[in-house]
Amino acid sequence: MSESKLQRLVSQVNQIALNMSANGSDEMVADQVAQHLEKFWAPPMKDLITQRAVGDDIGLTATAQMAIHNLVKIQQAKGA
Amino acid sequence: MLEFYEPQADYGTPKSASTAMVTLSIDGVNVTVPEGTSVMRAAAESGVKIPRLCATDQLKSFGSCRVCLVEIEGRRGFPASCTTNVEAGMEVRTQSDEIGKLRRNVMELYISDHPLDCLTCPTNGDCELQDTAGELGLRSVRYGFEGENHLVAEKDESNPYFTFDPSKCIVCSRCVRACEEVQGTFALTIDGRGFESKVSASQAEDFMDSECVSCGACVNACPTATLTEKSIIEAGKPEHSVTTTCAYCGVGCSFKAEMKGSQVVRMTPYKDGKANEGHACVKGRFAFGYATHKDRITLPMIRDSIDDPWREVSWDEAVTYTAKRFKDIQAQYGRTSIGAISSSRCTNEEVYLVQKMVRAGFGNNNVDTCARVCHSPTGFGLKTTLGESAGTQTFASVAEADVVIVMGANPTEAHPVFGSRLKRRLREGAKLIVIDPRKIELVSSPHITADYHLPVRPGTNVTILNALAHVVVNEGLEARDYIHERCDVAEFEKWRAFIGDERHAPENTETITGVAAADLRAAARLYATGGNGAIFYGLGVTEHSQGSTAVMGIANLAMLTGNIGRDGVGVNPLRGQNNVQGSCDMGSFPHELPGYRHISDTATRQLFEGEWGVTLDSEPGLRIPNMFDAALDGEFKGLYCQGEDIAQSDPNTQHVEAALRSIECLVVQDIFLNETAKFAHVFLPGASFLEKDGTFTNAERRISRVRKVMPPLSGKADWEGTMALANALGCKMDYSHPSEIMDEIARLTPTFTGVSYDRLEQLGSIQWPCNDSTPEGTPIMHVEEFVRGKGFFAMTEYVATTERANRKFPLLLTTGRILSQYNVGAQTRRTDNSEWHGEDLLEIHPHDAEERGINHDDWVGINSRVGDTVLRASVTDRVKPGVVYTTFHHPVSGANVITTDNSDWATNCPEYKVTAVQISKVTAPSSWQARQKSFDKQQQGLLKEAQH
Ligand code: SF4
Ligand code: SF4
Ligand code: SF4
Ligand code: FES
Repeated sequence: MSESKLQRLVSQVNQIALNMSANGSDEMVADQVAQHLEKFWAPPMKDLITQRAVGDDIGLTATAQMAIHNLVKIQQAKGA
Repeated sequence: MLEFYEPQADYGTPKSASTAMVTLSIDGVNVTVPEGTSVMRAAAESGVKIPRLCATDQLKSFGSCRVCLVEIEGRRGFPASCTTNVEAGMEVRTQSDEIGKLRRNVMELYISDHPLDCLTCPTNGDCELQDTAGELGLRSVRYGFEGENHLVAEKDESNPYFTFDPSKCIVCSRCVRACEEVQGTFALTIDGRGFESKVSASQAEDFMDSECVSCGACVNACPTATLTEKSIIEAGKPEHSVTTTCAYCGVGCSFKAEMKGSQVVRMTPYKDGKANEGHACVKGRFAFGYATHKDRITLPMIRDSIDDPWREVSWDEAVTYTAKRFKDIQAQYGRTSIGAISSSRCTNEEVYLVQKMVRAGFGNNNVDTCARVCHSPTGFGLKTTLGESAGTQTFASVAEADVVIVMGANPTEAHPVFGSRLKRRLREGAKLIVIDPRKIELVSSPHITADYHLPVRPGTNVTILNALAHVVVNEGLEARDYIHERCDVAEFEKWRAFIGDERHAPENTETITGVAAADLRAAARLYATGGNGAIFYGLGVTEHSQGSTAVMGIANLAMLTGNIGRDGVGVNPLRGQNNVQGSCDMGSFPHELPGYRHISDTATRQLFEGEWGVTLDSEPGLRIPNMFDAALDGEFKGLYCQGEDIAQSDPNTQHVEAALRSIECLVVQDIFLNETAKFAHVFLPGASFLEKDGTFTNAERRISRVRKVMPPLSGKADWEGTMALANALGCKMDYSHPSEIMDEIARLTPTFTGVSYDRLEQLGSIQWPCNDSTPEGTPIMHVEEFVRGKGFFAMTEYVATTERANRKFPLLLTTGRILSQYNVGAQTRRTDNSEWHGEDLLEIHPHDAEERGINHDDWVGINSRVGDTVLRASVTDRVKPGVVYTTFHHPVSGANVITTDNSDWATNCPEYKVTAVQISKVTAPSSWQARQKSFDKQQQGLLKEAQH
């Protein structure tokens, strides 16, 4: 679980959030980014980013950070 | 469908498209044909053959030879049947003593200037001149053979695939017209007049030095042995033929593989093939020799380490070894530590089996396909906006387009047969807008000039598309009724507010894109108001960090102007490889099952679980770049790679090579020891398209049969290899023929329900969706409504790539393909096509070259942020200042040593089309090239050891 791997994921989430930025309010974008990650990312990638993004400043933009929070919720809902 | 060899039926003149019918009498029999049909064709359709020399149904009638004379009641003289159209009540006589005499007279003149070496002529028995002389009962030539003639004219053998022997030419001009009408190259002319007239390539040059692109249309059209395939000269006339589909590009041309025993002696484009209608390009038509090239590997091989020599083994040993290694890896590193990559070069049935083996046998969803690196943004973008990941119209319907946009595609090089179709329509007067950083051939070629060429700066496609849409919206040119009826209006309003913003105005985007505002405005107006608008796009759109956004921008533009859902309009991704569409349809992406259904969808999963008897993982698997990253992180250890050369084709070669080196069991199934196989531990010999049954799906969703014409050299077709491995892994498969695999696909995939080999046999080819509501397939999509219901205008925010030019890397490199070579070149480099393109060149503008003291043909170093390589320079104004360009067909070029890890935000499709570089004059290869050379030498040595 290397730092460079985490950084790759962080820049990807930031990139996705930026490209979706015109889709609506920050909340809406964050929600769509979370859905996108849920739909296209493999579990180890989702696990790594959700574990590290909670609490830590790992370089996510504000919307991306919000998206990861939403992804955590999606994960929890699935686990429940 | 094996048939004894017969030349394809020729009705003399093209079919009329009219729906009005006309009845006439031919030799006393009533015949009903469409209005506009020639008398010659009407006769042929009713089984009466009128002799002909200058006419063929691939070309407009010309009326020069006068062999086809007939009598028509009430008309004076003897009209030529090829140039006379039918009329109601017409009474035609095709035979009489007088007609026979006149025809024989003409024939005598031809034959008096023709060598009488029929017995030793390569086309003896397959020659229209010979047949016609026979039909006319010509028994002597009164004029003698001693007069002035052309019998000693010199042969031109410069083209590697066909010869031109002017001594046999009857100057019927079929070749000249084929080059003009069918191919659109205008390489041939008839020079001189009367007796002096002769066929000449360009300015009386050899074919090889002329503008000829070796499509073979003239060779097909020639009624004599003047233009003849060298393969026929060497091997003789074919004995039987099998109809199959080209395995090169996404046009999907249909061919008759003409055979002698199990040897292909000629590939003749099939007239009934709906994608090509009898035309072909130099790849499909001539470049088939790779299939029997000496480099083919036909025995499975294994080794423990990539520094060990290969060991040839039986199929059983190879698959048992692989299965054990994969199982051991999973036991040690976990279920998700292995995966597979399939190829768009393989059949639908084969890629379906690979994803099945991964999902059901490996127990994970780590399967991806090479479409990841080409058209994955098309899948995402078109699904989001229109609801289906596919092109919307047929190639043939370009004949009804009035305005065509070609964006980031180069059809005359990469999709040549479609390129010829498009050129034909443009010559008829359709308008053309080219959006491309380079002056591609369509910008200006014989009889074609693009109305607008928007030379976009690489990386700014989205800005261009937004600006085009802005003009349409702000000038009130949108198709309001269409949008209100067909699209999600609330989303449209949101999008309209976004796109109407002044930042998208062409005057404000000019500095970003480098495209003049006036040209952009004019192009937008033309597309919005010029009638039927069709967009064709390629990898110049998708292979960007905003590739998915650009695809959505294209779909938005088409919906905005009402240009989707009928003939002559649409949004069409030109797929690079033969089966990109099919491999995507077959569930080759890690997140979806066949038919583009997400793996998390319980009902779909249950359907497959029921059929396959396993429980499926509901989470998406790793994409190709994720696999590489995971390999470098030590989490991904086993990879099965079928027919895809990731080491050469994926970006940032050094990163890919490092990833491949860290894989413990790399299995490559291919026909040659490709670049990836040099890092492999197991080599499973692949089968070429000539050695297997299956189907390919072309860029217009057309499913066509691939038919086995020779037994697989390795004893197994690729699907049989996969099946053996799956069984060794405990994932039971027992198909006895690919048709059974297609039956399974049809059972599980709503868009394929009606597809079967029987149905394909009946219909020739089928465009999916094909099910109960569309039993004969769907040529045009989204006719009444969009697949997703209402069309969705997606927001297309432009986010510039992080790959920017600066002082250190001031130029932008973009990449593309050339006509004679195909992708990584593994096939075409092993044919005479290399005579046209023996090496990749770096195109650089004279201004940039001069600044750096670079001359044409100099060796130049290309440095990017990730690597460097060396190529020879071609100084040309085809590229604009600030942009350089190369192809990527030769491994030693290392084009991907310089491309970066940047990728599309939505799909991770690599950003091949934008790399900031510096160019400088050098004298030696790059260090990577030196390493590549010695690694190649080592691996070839290890291969030789196995083969001793
Ligand atoms: S091979 Fe094609 S391009 Fe060449 S002369 Fe013949 S028709 Fe023209
Ligand atoms: S080369 Fe063949 S097609 Fe061309 S004019 Fe001569 S005979 Fe006719
Ligand atoms: S256009 Fe494409 S499919 Fe057709 S012959 Fe050429 S390579 Fe093959
Ligand atoms: S075939 Fe009619 S004039 Fe030649």
